Amino acid sequence: MSPAIRAWLTHLYPRPWRERYADEFDALLEQCLHSPLDVVDILLGALDAHLQLLNGENVNWRLMNMLNKLRTTILIVFAAYIAFIVAGMALVGLVDDSPMIPLMQSERAPALAMDIIRLGSVVALLAVVVGGLPLAISVFRRALTVDRRNLGLLLVPVISFFVLVLYFGFIFLVATSRIQINGVVPTVQPDNFPLGNRIMLIGLALIFVLGAIASTLAVWKVIFRTNAARTTFQTAGRVVSIDIYKFAYVPAVIATGCMLAMTIATIVWSFLVFSALPGVFFGNFGLWMTSTSSWVYGIIILMLISSLTAVWGVVRGRSALAQTRSVV
Amino acid sequence: MESSDFGRFSDPAVLILASLAGGEKHGYAMMEDIQATSGVRLGPGTLYGAISRLEADGLIEALPAVERRRPYRITQQGAAFLRTYLASLQKIVALGYARLQI
Repeated sequence: MSPAIRAWLTHLYPRPWRERYADEFDALLEQCLHSPLDVVDILLGALDAHLQLLNGENVNWRLMNMLNKLRTTILIVFAAYIAFIVAGMALVGLVDDSPMIPLMQSERAPALAMDIIRLGSVVALLAVVVGGLPLAISVFRRALTVDRRNLGLLLVPVISFFVLVLYFGFIFLVATSRIQINGVVPTVQPDNFPLGNRIMLIGLALIFVLGAIASTLAVWKVIFRTNAARTTFQTAGRVVSIDIYKFAYVPAVIATGCMLAMTIATIVWSFLVFSALPGVFFGNFGLWMTSTSSWVYGIIILMLISSLTAVWGVVRGRSALAQTRSVV
Repeated sequence: MESSDFGRFSDPAVLILASLAGGEKHGYAMMEDIQATSGVRLGPGTLYGAISRLEADGLIEALPAVERRRPYRITQQGAAFLRTYLASLQKIVALGYARLQI
């Protein structure tokens, strides 16, 4: 039987089962998989393994499944956070150099809402960095020593970042007239915003969004491939052992709380600002001088979706965390 | 531990324990041994279904893999379980023979 068929048959088993037995099971199939009856037997075995998981039977790989769930939780929160950053960047673009700035300088309430958003973004970033650090170190270590195919995937965020920097450089050269393109002006004004400039800036947004999606997918894939739930560090002569996903859970909860707080603050801020400035809301003060209201609705919807996704991930992970503790 | 806890894997579990009682073996060696001694050929799905349960219940334990093939050995708990199971089976065998007046 070909390796592809063997791999496909093994893939029918649940992930935690495969993480424990796939290698030796494949070695067995290499030697004994000869008849269609064996294939039927494997199908029944895979079904049984799935039923064991559904019934919550106390098997060793149940613990692995819980860790797997916990890992998915962390990844869901991470992906939601990246989507939230996209919405946050759009909000920054919307507010930057807009008629909302003078209002926030004179009115305390919208300024306070914006301060909450800024504070939330700092705390969320810190939580993601702290929670993700042991995981990132573990992934890099294993990519360098065990699973070198992950190195290619880890290059995706780096390449995305460099492409973004290069494009920024290009825009800078256009803005300083070092590069001149027909139909593109160095500095745009509300009454002078040519189509060429809009396309150039939409390109920037596309590179940012596509880079964020590609990087998130690549990191997701790498983390799923990295079969390690624990990592060790040596600091000041002491060896510290960390359960990566359990460690990351609390920062994930903090990041999720920040996302929720920022979403609420953005809704309140929008209500306060645009009640005072209805002309701005119904006008074209959005990014690239497009509809403000569309941007506001889009930002709030993306923030709501991403923060609620993170909440779902955290709730999903809580039961896995509790079960992991009870099993261990 | 009752043998019925292993569900449709109860017989394979006992066959595996009996096989490992004779020394540590990896999956394929267990299949060959069981076929040679009992005439039963366990399919790969059945074999690993039973192995995963036996390992979860602490009746067998995995040893470090050698070229992807991982040997298993019976634990003390597994040996005790097998003894109890065989003793109860022996009673049934004796009772059956007696009632058949053989």
